[in-house]
Amino acid sequence: MLPVIRVARATFHEAWRRRFLNGILVFAILIIGSSWLFAYLQPGAELQMVIDIGLGSIRFFGMLIAVFLGTRLVPDEMERRTIHTILAKPVSRAQFLIGKFAGGAITIAANLILMGLAFYAVFAIKAPAFVAEKPEDALIFQAMYGNIAKAILLSFFEMFLVLGIAVVASVIFTWVLSVITTFVLYFVGQMADLFQQLSDPERGAGLFARIVLGAAYRLLPHFEIFDMREAILQGIYVPWTTLAKTAGQGAAYLIVVLLIGYLVFNEREV
Amino acid sequence: MKQYQIVSWVIIIGLMLLLQPLDRAVEYDRLVLGLQQPTPWFQIAARGAAGETELAVTGVTGVIVGAALGGFREVAATMLWMKTHEYWESGQALQVKALWLMRLVTLLDPHWLEPWRITAWHLAYNLYVETDDPALQSKYLQMGVDCLKEGVSWNPDRYDLYVELGWTYFDKVEDFEEAAKWFEASKFYPHPEYVDRLVGHAYERMPDIPRALDAYDYRLKRDPTDGTAKGATITIRERYLHPWYFMEEGRHDKALELIDTHLLAKPDSTLALHVKGYLAEQAGDTRLAYETWKRAGDGSALDFHAQRRAVELAHELGIPTQDTPQYIYMQRQARTQKRMDGSVPGRDNLKR
Repeated sequence: MLPVIRVARATFHEAWRRRFLNGILVFAILIIGSSWLFAYLQPGAELQMVIDIGLGSIRFFGMLIAVFLGTRLVPDEMERRTIHTILAKPVSRAQFLIGKFAGGAITIAANLILMGLAFYAVFAIKAPAFVAEKPEDALIFQAMYGNIAKAILLSFFEMFLVLGIAVVASVIFTWVLSVITTFVLYFVGQMADLFQQLSDPERGAGLFARIVLGAAYRLLPHFEIFDMREAILQGIYVPWTTLAKTAGQGAAYLIVVLLIGYLVFNEREV
Repeated sequence: MKQYQIVSWVIIIGLMLLLQPLDRAVEYDRLVLGLQQPTPWFQIAARGAAGETELAVTGVTGVIVGAALGGFREVAATMLWMKTHEYWESGQALQVKALWLMRLVTLLDPHWLEPWRITAWHLAYNLYVETDDPALQSKYLQMGVDCLKEGVSWNPDRYDLYVELGWTYFDKVEDFEEAAKWFEASKFYPHPEYVDRLVGHAYERMPDIPRALDAYDYRLKRDPTDGTAKGATITIRERYLHPWYFMEEGRHDKALELIDTHLLAKPDSTLALHVKGYLAEQAGDTRLAYETWKRAGDGSALDFHAQRRAVELAHELGIPTQDTPQYIYMQRQARTQKRMDGSVPGRDNLKR
């Protein structure tokens, strides 16, 4: 366990020295901080716009950080040849891979916390003014604080999954290809319902569509399940059991991804 | 294959199998709680495939698609909304594109009320006046009403679209039974005071005098200084309540006589003509009812209710007439309603 912690700690410290990550974080906080300005683009739905921009930015910039960090974690060690030094010590490839992932995950968690705090600050300052303009939103406003925290919590699991996919893709492909693969999987994963509907025999799907698209639906990660903005916008209480099931699904998928990464990485020349 | 590989693959396959029931459980929870994304991508893609691809390409730019896929559905909706205005203002040829994009905005962000309101307004009001064909006009009315009903289904806890739908029934379709129903529905949610008065206006124009008085009474109990409600109550009590009571007692001649007295003083009074038309119908004097409704309809180009009633009675009397869009609309509604539950919509089905 100790080697994993050491690799994770080193990865975390190294990640904070990456300028592009700091740049993304600063830009994200700027966008989140100015989300209330965008609110005026949707007259009558200012509060909803703030939430959409704020939480959307957390997810979007979190995803960018996960992709660009995840796809560099292992290849950088290979390019600098430091991987040989690490693996020469009593650190197995599995421990190295898990350590790298854990370091990246802690980095992403720290970034998400900072973005979340920025959003909470904007929300706490601006939302009451928007609610005052539209008193009917007062009913759902109280439920929003708790729901926003839950939405950010789900973003953690979503970004860990993106990070896992990015790390594994970087082990299999070149850097550019791994970035593209992760982006494609993320965007396609947002539209998992499309594959489900297209493979539905009741909607006229043929045998080929049922097999191929049905398999795609079952194999692809379902990123849309981590998005609970609908609940926030409507003031719906989201039970912790639903959160646990969603997190469980993300965790199970993450283990699958990391195991595939381990199988490839273990056989790979470094 | 090495042992660790076999173990790993067994775990992978086991987890993938475990994911299936978990996925179904999460999907079920999201469906029950209403956490699913407003409109599945399938539906949006299906619209593009259903002959609207060209419109999609011209209107939906890469930036908008990117914003939508990147999780910024509301931002994408806002960008599209701006584009719709650009198209709409560019002229008639682009209005279809604008309307398609407006529907797309409502698909992307169904909780934004403005697009529902404006889209329905363009359909029921602006496209309505672009043609002289009553069948086409009735179709636009139907589309406007359907658009608002869909909007209400997405936003059932807000008064706005109930009132908007009620207003479209009140002002454009002039189906006052439906208008009153939707205005009443909006009162379950926090709403501005004018909505209470609109309920009264709808019953007044229907006409259903006791219910109109009830509605104004409700308003006055909340705000005794409400001048409109007070004035309406006085007018109704002075002019229409007594004829109404006579009608309920079956003394139709006396009721009509009283109304005629008011009409002598104010021959163009819409409300008096509506009450007289209704009294004549209740008295079984179809010819008088037809003449009264026709008089009201001819007197005001915007009295669609009177024009529709005149057409209905003209058909009964065998008088050749031109069907109005509102008449065609109501006939279609009646046929649909009959198909659904065998009843005919109308004031008799309203619970007092």
